[in-house]
Amino acid sequence: MSEQPTPIVEIAGLTKVYGSGVTEVTALDAVALRVPEGQFITVMGPSGCGKSTLLNLLGGLDTPTDGTISIDGQALGDLPDDRLTELRRRRIGFVFQFFNLIPVLTAVENASLPLRLDGVKDAEERAVAWLERVGLGDRLHNRPDQLSGGQQQRVAIARALSTEPALVLADEPTGNLDSRSASEIGELLSQVSTQWGRSVLMVTHDPRIASYAQRLVLMRDGRVVDDVELDGSHDGPRQALERAGLL
Amino acid sequence: MTLTLAWRYLRGRGARSLLTTLAVVFGVMLTFGLNGILPAMMEAFTHNLLSAAGKVDLTVTSSYNQPFRPDVVNTLLRVPGVAVASPGVQRTVPLPASADAGPDALAQLVVSGIDLATAARVHDFPLASGRMLGPADTAAVVMNADLADELSLGLGDRLVLPAAAGTARFTVVGLLSTATVPGQEQVFLTLPAAQQLLGLGTRITQVEAVFAPGADRTQTEEQVAAALGQDYQVGGLSTESSLIASLQTAQVAFNMFGIFALATAGFIIANSFRTVVAERRRDIGMLRAIGARRRTIMRLFLAESLFQGIIGTALGIAAGWAMALGYFVAMGPIVQSFIHIDIGGPVFTPATWAMSILLGVGVTVAAALLPARAAGRVTPLEAMRPQLGEVYERRVGRQAWIGTGLVVASLFGLTTGSSGLIGLGAVVFLVGFAMLAPAVVNPLAEWASHPLEVLFSREGSIARSNLQRNPGRSGITVTAVMLGLASIVATISMVTSIFAGFTSYLDKSLSSDYLLMPQSIILAQGNVAAGPRLAGEVKAVPGIGAVSTLRLAQAKSDGGDVQVLGIDPQTYLSVADFDWNTGSSDAAIAQLASGRWLIANGIYATQHNLVAGQALVLNTPNGQRTYHLAGIGNDYLNAKLSTLYTSQANLERDFNVTADILVMANRTAGADATTTTALLQKVAADYPAFRLYESESWRAEQMKTFSSTIVIFDALVAALALPSLLALVNTLAISVLARTREIGMLRAVGATRRQIRRMVMAESLLLSVIGTGFGAIAGLWLGYALVAAMRGLGWEMPYSFPWAGLVTTVVVGITFGVLAALGPARSAAKLDVVAALHQE
Repeated sequence: MSEQPTPIVEIAGLTKVYGSGVTEVTALDAVALRVPEGQFITVMGPSGCGKSTLLNLLGGLDTPTDGTISIDGQALGDLPDDRLTELRRRRIGFVFQFFNLIPVLTAVENASLPLRLDGVKDAEERAVAWLERVGLGDRLHNRPDQLSGGQQQRVAIARALSTEPALVLADEPTGNLDSRSASEIGELLSQVSTQWGRSVLMVTHDPRIASYAQRLVLMRDGRVVDDVELDGSHDGPRQALERAGLL
Repeated sequence: MTLTLAWRYLRGRGARSLLTTLAVVFGVMLTFGLNGILPAMMEAFTHNLLSAAGKVDLTVTSSYNQPFRPDVVNTLLRVPGVAVASPGVQRTVPLPASADAGPDALAQLVVSGIDLATAARVHDFPLASGRMLGPADTAAVVMNADLADELSLGLGDRLVLPAAAGTARFTVVGLLSTATVPGQEQVFLTLPAAQQLLGLGTRITQVEAVFAPGADRTQTEEQVAAALGQDYQVGGLSTESSLIASLQTAQVAFNMFGIFALATAGFIIANSFRTVVAERRRDIGMLRAIGARRRTIMRLFLAESLFQGIIGTALGIAAGWAMALGYFVAMGPIVQSFIHIDIGGPVFTPATWAMSILLGVGVTVAAALLPARAAGRVTPLEAMRPQLGEVYERRVGRQAWIGTGLVVASLFGLTTGSSGLIGLGAVVFLVGFAMLAPAVVNPLAEWASHPLEVLFSREGSIARSNLQRNPGRSGITVTAVMLGLASIVATISMVTSIFAGFTSYLDKSLSSDYLLMPQSIILAQGNVAAGPRLAGEVKAVPGIGAVSTLRLAQAKSDGGDVQVLGIDPQTYLSVADFDWNTGSSDAAIAQLASGRWLIANGIYATQHNLVAGQALVLNTPNGQRTYHLAGIGNDYLNAKLSTLYTSQANLERDFNVTADILVMANRTAGADATTTTALLQKVAADYPAFRLYESESWRAEQMKTFSSTIVIFDALVAALALPSLLALVNTLAISVLARTREIGMLRAVGATRRQIRRMVMAESLLLSVIGTGFGAIAGLWLGYALVAAMRGLGWEMPYSFPWAGLVTTVVVGITFGVLAALGPARSAAKLDVVAALHQE
């Protein structure tokens, strides 16, 4: 971490408070984080530690109570809904736990959705290219119900990458998959950062999947409690969790 | 992209898209089909009544439908721009009924007396065989070859026509190659021969004119009208305008049914889209997360509804077309035999097309608007959350208060007695009820579930709480069912009231034992009347006691046409009676004998806001005359036409009318019916234009005809009922789909398939019972309002409580409840437990 590349994500003092009075819950408490270009970061921590809130705020899906977020040099601050939507469409890719594919559209149509929303002319060609890269070249015209869980998540990843985003946000991307498919998705996401140069921020409960990342951020009660480099060994995340007393 | 996605979603929803689209189909079918029927009938009337085109630029007739002096031709020729003016006589005469004539046999002919010197310049008479009429022909006719075929006549054959006194025989001398317009079966005579046949002396009934080349049409018409004055009608014949007005009233009522059906469709669609939005929260959230704007989401839903609207409207128009065609196939013969008019086929005006398309597509898109807006407001975070089973709603409070306010306000409409306000009140009432529905559906379900739990002891309470959990959705279903059933009750109310009203007229107006009248007396104009001799001969028949007659003239008042019937005040009450409006009595009839007094029928009195004692200026053939109103009453024959009644003495003095159009006679007590009837038949045989009816059988015949027209209403009722069935099926299907996971859970904790089926069935029954209750109340109100509105238009009719309608509605409502539940109940019971539990 001696020479730091340009950060894609830079957050400072990020705080999110839900409710008020007796029901007040501080989901995030003055979190600071830099995500350099092309880095794969995984966020772990017990339920309710603020992982998902962090992801939502980064994606511009929710607004912080305090603090600043900048994505790819653009401060989210007071962007109006339409500008925020545009930013999501062009610079951020999402991968969800439940895939969230449109059931009535084919793999290509699903993957090209953000491009079409943006009015891109060669949307389909670009989507096909990405589907081929994630290994679905032979399932282009299948609908989600004709694909396995792992295949569906690959379509979702192709969809996230189709707009050439700076940042890919993945919320429990393997939470709904068997262990073999989960590993394949872990490898694929690692490829997204190392080979295709996107920053990836993934939230997961699974230490084995976390080991595909280059860096691990541990959270508890809305704070970052540890931030470690990973060496690719499958035990790395587990050991870090033990050290932080999170296991 | 939006369109592709919308289209895929629509197709993906398969059965449900079909159900909601069907609702639009029905609505558009009714709007389009009904509007294709009525204008066609009006066009048929107009077509039959207006002179056949030919080269005629202008036709002059009497404003009073009376013959006039031939020198009108000269007045006409003096107008610059008029090149030819051809005098003529045209009257419809009944054909003597022949023993072997089938039911489709021609019953009447139009006798045309043509002026040989000028006729050829206004009409073509292309001869197919034989010769044209000559000046010396006093007993010769020329007719179209196709008509001659229909009458089984050839050159040299004899045609017998009824004359002012007895009959006259004519020889067919020429056949024309022109085609006959149905309803315009004409035979041509020389003008003097026709005048003699019809007892007109030298008078004529019309002048047909051709303009000089280059003459300004409008200007010439105006100048002709100015030259002739108000005693003459320039242009088409204005006869039957009040009949057309009644048809227009009917069109308004029919349109209302179409709009009702579409409103029901609107509710179904709104409900469907609400659920669709709830189901797709996660899809919407994802789309928002990956960069779809709010308006893109809204557009997606609107596009989906637009597709649905377009498809539904297209199918609806096709179905409406078929419905109208079916109507004409079924009704054509009935109308033909009843009023001798060929109603042809459906006519769809551009306005009908425009209205159907606008309403069909418009209602669908409008119904999707609110759900679409709600969809636009779904946050991207929805994509991250595990899906909620259903969206709960609690915003019923304010809406319910507004609804209550509207219902109370509509009550005032009833108290005013004004048909407009009553009608408006009925609509306001429906809207109020619809707004109130979500708030009252829960307490009502509570109450209605008690008896239900006897039938469904275990599942009843679960069904009730399912229904109560989403009062918004339940309210919409109840409203859709209510609208569907309310229109049924209202239609039946109206029909039974009309039926009761006509039966009462029939009994009161025609209390005599015998009637002698032309076959198509309803469209009285153009009928041949009988001199006073006929009544005298009837009176002389042994066994006949009281005899009274009716005479007919036309007048103008307030710029409109009105038929004036002459009655004999001394004898009228012995054979007939009026159905009096409040404040009038038989005394009015006696008053007719004491000077220029009139009785007006309900329609006329309402149209002109008449009150007893009021003065009325009538334009008669002899000039303006002031009459006074003795009373307001109705008789059956003229229930639908603007009519005034005065004494026959007045009719003779002011209208020069002395001929009888109808003879009513009673038997003396103890006279033998068979003998008397036989004797009367002999008298009637000399008057081929007239037919003898025994009142009993005539009434029976009228009732039969009337009943057969009720078939149309039954079909209408069925068409109105179907959308409410769709509403129920749709809502239930949706509620089963929305609760897939919950049903899986119930199965997992031990509910049997049978119990699940019964639970869905119980919910459906609850919804339909409440909807039926609402529908019955709203329908009674609406029916009352319709009857009041008709009364407001002058169709005096008693309000007849639709017991049969209520029973039908309750049976239909409950049956639909069970039918609608069959499919959803089966699919709910068949759900795979594990898959259902994993359902997102």
